[in-house]
Amino acid sequence: MNRQQVRDVILHLLQEIVPAAAVRDVPLDVDLCDTLLLDSLDFLNFVVAVHDTLHVDVPQADYEELRTLGGSIDYLTRAHERRT
Amino acid sequence: MADAPPGIDLGWGVVAGVARYLPQSLSDAMGASSHLYLAANIDLDRAVNWLAELNAHRPAPDRLVMAALFLKAVTHGLRDVPELNGTMIDGEGHPSSTVHLGVAVARWDGAPIVAVLPDAGRRGVDDVMRMLRDLVRRARTDRLRETDLPEPTFTVTHLGYLGVQAVFPSIVPPLVGAVGFGKVVEQPSAVQGAVVCSPVVTATLAAADSVGSHRGARFLATIDRVLQRPEAL
Repeated sequence: MNRQQVRDVILHLLQEIVPAAAVRDVPLDVDLCDTLLLDSLDFLNFVVAVHDTLHVDVPQADYEELRTLGGSIDYLTRAHERRT
Repeated sequence: MADAPPGIDLGWGVVAGVARYLPQSLSDAMGASSHLYLAANIDLDRAVNWLAELNAHRPAPDRLVMAALFLKAVTHGLRDVPELNGTMIDGEGHPSSTVHLGVAVARWDGAPIVAVLPDAGRRGVDDVMRMLRDLVRRARTDRLRETDLPEPTFTVTHLGYLGVQAVFPSIVPPLVGAVGFGKVVEQPSAVQGAVVCSPVVTATLAAADSVGSHRGARFLATIDRVLQRPEAL
């Protein structure tokens, strides 16, 4: 899966969590939780959705790497490559 | 003296009359029955470490968040102070034997919805976590209908993610109480002469006056106590 495909999957999963938000307009470098008003449960729901969809289990110690959209794309592209 | 019109006798009857009158006029002026607020700072050092250790060994779908520990701690507090769990109708308390925990969930459009965890007192922390995650997901995506849920017996508000340090919750009539949890922040404190930093949350209880400050304080003390032994939740 290339970066663009991983990005599309991430945006789709975030949209499921906050249906009314304009997730496609979120810049790559801003804090996702602050921008989309995600609380710890929403964020965990995102991590679980990543687990179920991309089959990548992000350990809690790595949550910081998912704080921005850009960070999430980098991290999950790498993790998905390692997996396959 | 029993026949004296109120407000004329200079004896005990007047005092009693005034005492009866004042709370009523105050509550009229405030547009609500009077209630009390109590707040406590709770050290979460043990709870945070325990949670990190537990989650490190679990796949994402089985992990817990601090909010689940707060909710379980609240059920312990309500078991110790059952007067807080239930309704107040015409000044008379009706404690409930089960704990249906209402959780205020903000939706994207700003309109909050109270999701309810039925019988939360009997559920383990993993079960509470699963239900909470599901309820929040459904509430956020408008797939939760308030008519699907039992009436809550107590409510919890957790606004820490918005950066709020202390939440002063509103009591939803006819309920007797509500508790709010703020943001978990690192705070310095003195331990055996040394300054140490640990994560702390402010828990704020709102309760009907009839519950009394002592019971309210006991409720917060129980929450503090059980959060110091998270493995027992």
